[in-house]
Amino acid sequence: MLALLPQAIIDGVLLGGIYLTVAMGFSLAFGVLHIIDFAVGEWIMLGAFIGLIFTKWLGVDALLSLPVVFVIFAVVGWLLQPLLHRVLSGSRGRPVLMGLVFTFGLALAFRGSALTVFGIFTHSLDTVLSQGSWHLDWGPFFLTVPLIRLAGLVYALAVILGFNYLLKRTDFGLAVRAVAQNKEAAGLMGVDVNRTSAAVYGLYVGISAMTGVFIGAIVSLNAGMGPDLSIFAFFVVVLAGMGYLAGVPWAAFLLGLIQSFFLIYFNPSHVLLALFSILYLILLISPTGMFRKGV
Amino acid sequence: MSGAVLKLEEVRMAFGGLIAVDDVSFEVTPGEIVGIIGPNGAGKTTIFNAVSGYYRPTRGRISFLGQDVTGRQPYELAAMGIGRTFQIVKPFAGLSVLENILVASYLRHPHQGEARSKAWEVLRFIGLADRADLAAAGLTLAGRKRLEMGKALALEPKLLLLDEVVAGLNPTEADQTVQLILKIRDTGVTILIVEHIMRVIMKISTRIIVLNYGRMIAQGRPEEVARDRQVIEAYLGEGIDAAVGS
Amino acid sequence: MRGRPAWLWILLVIAAVGTVPLLIADAFFLRLFTEALMWIGLAITWDLMAGYIGYLNFGHGVFFGVGAYTAALLITKGGWPFWPALALGGLAAGLVALVSGWPTLRLRGAYFAIGTWALNRAVGQVALVLDFTGGPDGMRLPPFLHPQFFAYVMLGVVGATFLILWLLLEQAPFGLKLKAIREDESGSLAIGLNPAWLKLQAFVLSAVPTGILGGVYAYWITFIDPSSTLGDLITDQAVVMAIFGGLGTLIGPVIGAVLFFSFKTYFWAYLSDYQVLYLIILGLAIAATVFFLPDGFWGTVANRWEGRRALRKGLSLGQAAGT
Repeated sequence: MLALLPQAIIDGVLLGGIYLTVAMGFSLAFGVLHIIDFAVGEWIMLGAFIGLIFTKWLGVDALLSLPVVFVIFAVVGWLLQPLLHRVLSGSRGRPVLMGLVFTFGLALAFRGSALTVFGIFTHSLDTVLSQGSWHLDWGPFFLTVPLIRLAGLVYALAVILGFNYLLKRTDFGLAVRAVAQNKEAAGLMGVDVNRTSAAVYGLYVGISAMTGVFIGAIVSLNAGMGPDLSIFAFFVVVLAGMGYLAGVPWAAFLLGLIQSFFLIYFNPSHVLLALFSILYLILLISPTGMFRKGV
Repeated sequence: MSGAVLKLEEVRMAFGGLIAVDDVSFEVTPGEIVGIIGPNGAGKTTIFNAVSGYYRPTRGRISFLGQDVTGRQPYELAAMGIGRTFQIVKPFAGLSVLENILVASYLRHPHQGEARSKAWEVLRFIGLADRADLAAAGLTLAGRKRLEMGKALALEPKLLLLDEVVAGLNPTEADQTVQLILKIRDTGVTILIVEHIMRVIMKISTRIIVLNYGRMIAQGRPEEVARDRQVIEAYLGEGIDAAVGS
Repeated sequence: MRGRPAWLWILLVIAAVGTVPLLIADAFFLRLFTEALMWIGLAITWDLMAGYIGYLNFGHGVFFGVGAYTAALLITKGGWPFWPALALGGLAAGLVALVSGWPTLRLRGAYFAIGTWALNRAVGQVALVLDFTGGPDGMRLPPFLHPQFFAYVMLGVVGATFLILWLLLEQAPFGLKLKAIREDESGSLAIGLNPAWLKLQAFVLSAVPTGILGGVYAYWITFIDPSSTLGDLITDQAVVMAIFGGLGTLIGPVIGAVLFFSFKTYFWAYLSDYQVLYLIILGLAIAATVFFLPDGFWGTVANRWEGRRALRKGLSLGQAAGT
């Protein structure tokens, strides 16, 4: 039993890496644009499928599709954001509520489209790393680290570092942080709020789509996978504390570890229920997230 | 003691390392209009939040009508007789002016018919009866401030906390509000008022409390406070005693 | 008030609708009739949380599913008769609301939406894995094929729900208090409202009729499974209907349900081969309504009426002032 522990931990960390990328962009969208995007899982799913098409079409390795997927979806996000903005700044109805419902509707439409075009079957993405894994012999422990999962972790870390650099060391990042804190003041200071917001949303969608490619390669992809992913993203962000970016990595790895422990030691089909119960408990105790720094 | 409507004893509000209210103690006797003044960040609204149940004091005791109410929920305090307005007015924007007052009236009048009568009464008292069906969002600032006071009045409070109800109004509107406040006082409600507009608060208050950096630095009748050296240095500046004297 | 009281009008309408199954005995029509009523019930109960308090319950279907499964289990495994099983279905749903509502209602609107959505999926998963509930194959109920009976049962349940909600939300103080919470939850504390308690009451109130509807559905269709009763589709459609009709009123969702259900019936007749297309249409309908008609069909119409009435009032006030 204990022999499985290191594997469980490694798996958890690797899973956490994926959760991290899913949640990072989502948290950014909330922090800057104050949008809670119910379609996050759908963006991931669509990214995976576009990756699949690209790979099958050109016969190339799935990982090569990453830049293409990013560009396509970043543009889509960029174009979509003004619509979202219009809904959120409406004077009729209740804008925030309507924004939620709007993204909910979009998610549904995307899911339906994917089901229509791609059917209900599960596929997987092939990459050069798909079959490989590292085997580590370490005393009584025997660890298997699938390379593709490792690549996922590397990707996650790259995204975090990239974000950090972008937000803290570039002018664009400065503009983004300004908009996040005070949209009006930022505008008055010469920041093009609309363009910045659109760019942030495009970034978030692009990154989510790339995450889809990884998930498709690591696990699998099917047109109905969106909702569970959205829930995972929400769980991470809510656990970290809504809007509190610094807490996201911790929450992501925690959830990854919890899930991997469940997969190894308990019944996998109860994962969602278990995660859900844990989230419930934690939120009962601390609604502003595990660090109590949420909104 | 037995007579005080409100009593604060060594109340402290600390937010992490920041001490917003530092061991403040004072009493408010029935029928008074007590004004609280002080620079921004002195802790005035924090005290209001503590008294109305929105914050729980880190230390100290708050008594209302002889009962310890420290840390009670805002709705419990409303039922006991504390009404308040908010510095940044919070009307129920999607509801009509009448509905705004009506919801507040339910506290003392659980039945629809009685509550409606009460609501109309309040509307007439504050002078918004002609705009009863208007959406609250459509009121001017002066109207919203009135509505804010009306909501608190519908609770039939014994103690009314007014937070900068005159700020932002033009002189005519300000005078009308002052008249309204005095009218409220005449119905037997004790008033605790925070205000920056000196001529208003000095004129209507029976007693002034001055806060600075969370501490109470002076307390007394308006004329006394206006001449207090510390108060002048911290907040008022020279020349205010002449204005108060008028 | 002039004229007859509202509740009398409501009863008259229900009675009028109630004559329909007597006049038209065609089984297919009655099936549509019954289903349309069911959707009205689902839409108005969803609107209670969404429109009156501003809390989006994206897992509203869980109440329906819990009610359906409870009633089904009692009838098939427990040998219970229909009516008590139905009542217990509603009670079970109410219990789920009570237990899950207490933690989730503390959260702000969006978290609540996610929390309820996740709950729905979690319960769906449970139903899938439990043998007791028939797993993915679902449960079969004893056939009781009486279209008129079910039409009346559905009318009774939905009619009663509408009437009760009308009395509580439009006549009694309860509705206005909920709206106050919607407008400003923090400010509502200052006027003596206890939002946590009020929200919980509303949540349970939205759950019980939905559970009963689930029970009726189970006995009516005689077959339930996780995807039909605990899937997303129940909630998704209720959402479209309520939003399209107009949130914050009871009439809005009724209109939205009738209109959308009619559309759906036509759609099914011509495009039943493309069932996944339905999801796209649902999603786009939600997004488009939010974008173009945020107040919904009824909301927009009602606003125009209000606007004209206010204008007339304003003009008459002006005239009075002028004299």
